[in-house]
Amino acid sequence: MNTVQSLPLLQNALTVGAILFSLGLIGILTRRNLIVMFLAAEMMLQGISVSLVAWSRYHGDWGGHVLVIFVLTVAACEAAVALVFVLQAFSRTGRLDSAAWQSLREATVGRTVDHELPSIDTVPPRFPTLTPAGILPAADEDEPLQREHV
Amino acid sequence: MTPLPFDPLASGPLLAGAVVATAASLWLLLPNGRDTSSARWLGTLLGLGALAAFILAGRRLGGVGEEAVFLIVSLVAVVSAAATIVSRSPVYAAIWFALTLAGVAGVLLVLGAQFLGVATIVVYAGAILVMFLFVLMLAQPAGLAPYDRVSNEPFLSALAGAVLLGVLSLSIGRLSAAPAPCCGVPSRATATPTAETQPSSDVASESTTAAVANSVAPAIDPLAENHVARLGGELFGRHLVAVEAAGVLLLAALIGAIAVVSRGEAAQAAAASPSAGRSAAR
Repeated sequence: MNTVQSLPLLQNALTVGAILFSLGLIGILTRRNLIVMFLAAEMMLQGISVSLVAWSRYHGDWGGHVLVIFVLTVAACEAAVALVFVLQAFSRTGRLDSAAWQSLREATVGRTVDHELPSIDTVPPRFPTLTPAGILPAADEDEPLQREHV
Repeated sequence: MTPLPFDPLASGPLLAGAVVATAASLWLLLPNGRDTSSARWLGTLLGLGALAAFILAGRRLGGVGEEAVFLIVSLVAVVSAAATIVSRSPVYAAIWFALTLAGVAGVLLVLGAQFLGVATIVVYAGAILVMFLFVLMLAQPAGLAPYDRVSNEPFLSALAGAVLLGVLSLSIGRLSAAPAPCCGVPSRATATPTAETQPSSDVASESTTAAVANSVAPAIDPLAENHVARLGGELFGRHLVAVEAAGVLLLAALIGAIAVVSRGEAAQAAAASPSAGRSAAR
């Protein structure tokens, strides 16, 4: 068993936490889907948790562990309330787009306009190919519930 | 701050290269409306280069096995975190985030936080992520929405995040084992011998006080048999008021979520929106 106070382990864990935090920050700044934005926020919380536990181990103190438990609690509360708001926003606009609420922006900020969007992805999704087994079910081509993307 | 003979984490060119590669990779990989496979390949290659630079910048842990385990779980966490924010489909983003949680739980286990590693899996991946997926199933329109294929200012955001990462790595690399000249953090690990010098010969009569002293004993040894019990003792001893406050917060969040849903239902029923039935079915 290595020693409690090991500086390399602390530094490596802090680096992992910093990478997770930065990736979450980039995600919450760039993505426009409300749910992906919340996922990015949770990722920032994960980076903070890793850093707290690393410091807790380095100092031999339980404070970091206890704080991470409270981070878990607050994240659960935040997710519950935020997802209710996301559902309300979706039922008002029909979209999970944060730009659907851009009428709340500052008066000096320009309007976000989407242009030059291709109708479908130029890179088609690649699905796994499975060996056929059994009888091919009779699929209704006009079934409205079928989705071409996940 | 004592300069080490070779300090890779604080060496400038390696870190600058890693930061530039991270920014360029994320800029190429983030959805920008005109995806080409060559941009994705280039972004992936640059991302792998940035990962290799960060691995080279890391410190050696000493033990080969521990180092390999830490490397694997942190790679899983970081790679799937990057895949979470560059995924076009939010369902795939949620699933990649589950893998991120698995990696983070592994990192926490390596750091000796058994309870937190398991709690991360149970609470995050088991509850919160499933809730995200439920909301996605309720709210995601069919196909890829146009707002999933564009980003807000991907270049500036990737640059800002990468620069923040570089600054954080610099300050992490400048950490040294020597305590700060002033106001050093009172580490309770240094206070351990004073707590253990007291003889506990009469264990039978003072078992409870020994247990209390044990719970305050700071050494976080992941192989200690009463690791979780000590954490519980700390949580319900020193931080009891905070636990109560967290309970009140959970109750308030529960009631608030229900109140918002019911009020939104009433408003939608007044507005006679066609999507009110979907919200009422929850």
